[in-house]
Amino acid sequence: MTRSTSRRTAAANARPAAGSVDGAPPPALRLTRITKTFGPITAVKNLSLTVERNQVVGVIGENGAGKSTLLKILSGLHEPTSGVMEVAGRPVQFRRPQDAVAAGFGVVHQEQSLLSNLSVAENLAMNALSSTDNATRFGWYRWRQLNREAAETLARVGAAIDPRAIVGDLSFVDRQMVEIARALRVDEQTHATPLVILDEPTSVLERNETAILEREIANLKSVGSVIFVSHRLDEVRRICDRIVVMRHGEVVADRPTGDVTEDDLFKLMIGHAAKADKRSDAGRTVGAQNLVEVRGLTRRGEYRDVSFAVRPGRCLVIVGALGSGRESLARTVFGAEPFDRGEIRYRGDVVSSWSTVRATRNGMAYVPAERRTEGMVGGFSSTENITLARTGARPRFVLNRAGQKKLAREWFQRLDVRPDDIKLSLQRFSGGNQQKVVMAKWLQSDRLRVLILDHPLRGLDPGAAETVNDQIRIARDAGTAVILLADTLEEALDMGDDILVMRDGDVTARFDLSVDTPTTLDLLERMV
Amino acid sequence: MANPVTREPSEQSVSTGRRTRPHHRFEVRSLGEVGALAVLIIVFFAINPSTFLSIGNIRTILDQAATPLIVGVGATLVVLMGAIDLSVEGVMGAAGMAFILTTENSRGSVDLGPLSFVVGIAMGAALGVAAGLIHTRLKVPSFIVTLGFWFVGLGIATVLFGTETIPLLPDGGIKAWPNETFLGLPHSFWLAVLVIAVGWVVTRFTRLGRFTYAIGDSEEVARSNGVGVARTKLYVFAVAGACTGLAGILATLRLGAGAPTVGGGVLFLTVAAVVIGGTSLGGGRGGVLRTTLGVFMLTVLTNGLILSGVDSSIQSGVSGAVLIVAIIFAAWPHRSRLRIVK
Repeated sequence: MTRSTSRRTAAANARPAAGSVDGAPPPALRLTRITKTFGPITAVKNLSLTVERNQVVGVIGENGAGKSTLLKILSGLHEPTSGVMEVAGRPVQFRRPQDAVAAGFGVVHQEQSLLSNLSVAENLAMNALSSTDNATRFGWYRWRQLNREAAETLARVGAAIDPRAIVGDLSFVDRQMVEIARALRVDEQTHATPLVILDEPTSVLERNETAILEREIANLKSVGSVIFVSHRLDEVRRICDRIVVMRHGEVVADRPTGDVTEDDLFKLMIGHAAKADKRSDAGRTVGAQNLVEVRGLTRRGEYRDVSFAVRPGRCLVIVGALGSGRESLARTVFGAEPFDRGEIRYRGDVVSSWSTVRATRNGMAYVPAERRTEGMVGGFSSTENITLARTGARPRFVLNRAGQKKLAREWFQRLDVRPDDIKLSLQRFSGGNQQKVVMAKWLQSDRLRVLILDHPLRGLDPGAAETVNDQIRIARDAGTAVILLADTLEEALDMGDDILVMRDGDVTARFDLSVDTPTTLDLLERMV
Repeated sequence: MANPVTREPSEQSVSTGRRTRPHHRFEVRSLGEVGALAVLIIVFFAINPSTFLSIGNIRTILDQAATPLIVGVGATLVVLMGAIDLSVEGVMGAAGMAFILTTENSRGSVDLGPLSFVVGIAMGAALGVAAGLIHTRLKVPSFIVTLGFWFVGLGIATVLFGTETIPLLPDGGIKAWPNETFLGLPHSFWLAVLVIAVGWVVTRFTRLGRFTYAIGDSEEVARSNGVGVARTKLYVFAVAGACTGLAGILATLRLGAGAPTVGGGVLFLTVAAVVIGGTSLGGGRGGVLRTTLGVFMLTVLTNGLILSGVDSSIQSGVSGAVLIVAIIFAAWPHRSRLRIVK
């Protein structure tokens, strides 16, 4: 590539030290007593961490444990309140994202950080634009070169993506591959030894893509270092040389992988052991009548001739691969998308001019997959978000502040939301805690009858996932009908009473789990 | 795609599921705007077969379009960032007055020769920089800042106008320049073409231009991608101010006299043209060529209505209705999802 010809400007602080005191090479990254506070909240407390050269370090922790803050510090988005950061033995300060790039840091963010209206190639080159990259030198775009370099980078991660495609047109998975490709590219763009930071890169990837990623991580290890953040404990153990566990903003364990088991890690993360058996049908209120029934529902280009029914106290799980149409189906049932043919029955009656307003009035709730854009009002406090759908007790048009606060406190406790600050604006919470608040918004309603969940566990750590699943079960046992679009087949088998399998808009199989015992393979066969 | 140099990612690489849609350099939807313009032309030609497509009327249309075209280039850049510039009428007045008082005029103030053009453009750019600084440093929404600068500009123009006689341009010389023709078309139009060409190159091939798209998509994400958001905004407001300044000079030349209100009506025309052309007011989508189409649609509409003998009060109503219809059509594809219903 352009390594020999490209000149660096601002990277002076990132040049490796000429030699270190004791002869051994200095660690790629050393953090000493890093603290970051946001007002009264301490997100990261006295964190010390060392990443040696050619090492893969895993960082695990529950949502709200401070991982995201740590990553933002490393990517130059936040400056630490106190503490020392050293790269290759030299103290550095990242004031801007460019400083992190210049130091050889490539980051794959958990929340997508691509510009959706620009092409793949532009996004790949974005970080390098601040320096004097050949393809964009002096602020002038050489499109052919830009596209060619992007194609090379994409080929490296084995992604069949057109560099000229607009990112917004890509599937979620493809976008994730672009993010990964961009982070892996730092070694081409800087002279610094690369340190690639991956924030839950595999949460949306398929198995073969995960394999590619693991291979790339192994490649990177030979030239630089990797920090790997994940919720999949087995994966962390497979990939990483060392595992750092964070809890409440602090490092609670830092061990070589060989010394810890998965159970140890879970305990360290959560503070208690995993619950063994989650499935119990006792004490459920199962209704006799179908609460929601769908007959021959069709939406052109999304799904065809779908029928199903859900009774109170039962959970219907819809599984399907990308393009199965299940997301659109769920949105249709909630009144958020129109349909072309068929009917939706609610409590036996055919609904006409169905809309989200009517659905909500009738006790339907929808937890969207894109919680940031669809599920929450980021600028509102969590109290306001929880009480958004219902403004507390009577009178209706006057907000009952005290009642709202009481309600919010109660739900914060029930769902173990952290930080425990009901006044904090919701966008300041970590993803898992945001999801808990979004769930609380619907669960608090005494009118809740139907709960539709679109990938409720996406991006959640095991602890938060357990809390969310527990709440779904509590609602179900109390007589709520649940329609769940599950992330994984294990989740589907764990949560479901009925499973509907979809492929390319058609229903390919149904399982009643009280009679059938399908395996994940059975489901998979009908999905693809 | 047409480019043989860029190798299609090959079959040996692992497919990540769904194939990506090919990327069209000119979005298909622009054909809709081209079609609408063609329909307008055909309709007015059918109503006024002898006059509408006469060489004289074509020159009139092109000359009338020149000022909003030039303003539109700057306005497009601003709107691409998700911001808006409402100050154009005031800035045009200030720039026009600054220009006429530094060139040969009936008041005989000073005559800086060609430098007077620089003075006019610099006046526009300076006002743009000032608005941009307040917008970025003090974090005031561009809507409010530029609304204020509309009247700041008018104020400057009025002070420059003073209480003396109206400054007039001498007959002949530069006053006649916009209407003189080159290759049969008026100079004013060629000037607009030049500005559009520069604007297109900027949006297509320069970091400044691409960053405006990035900022329009999401300031937050752009910042985390290393885009200097504040600096880019400042530059863009400066460029927009310079465009508006140039338009103020052109409008003054066409008027032949200095007047603070020389930019009257241009704001509606350009903002409407930007939107009708298909540049999203939310930012991130659209472009300079689209705005060009929008300006021509509105100019042809106005000209055609006049030629067809439609009352002037009805004309403005029709222009407004066209704007609303265009916005409905422009927003239609994005309506389907819940998230847009804000």
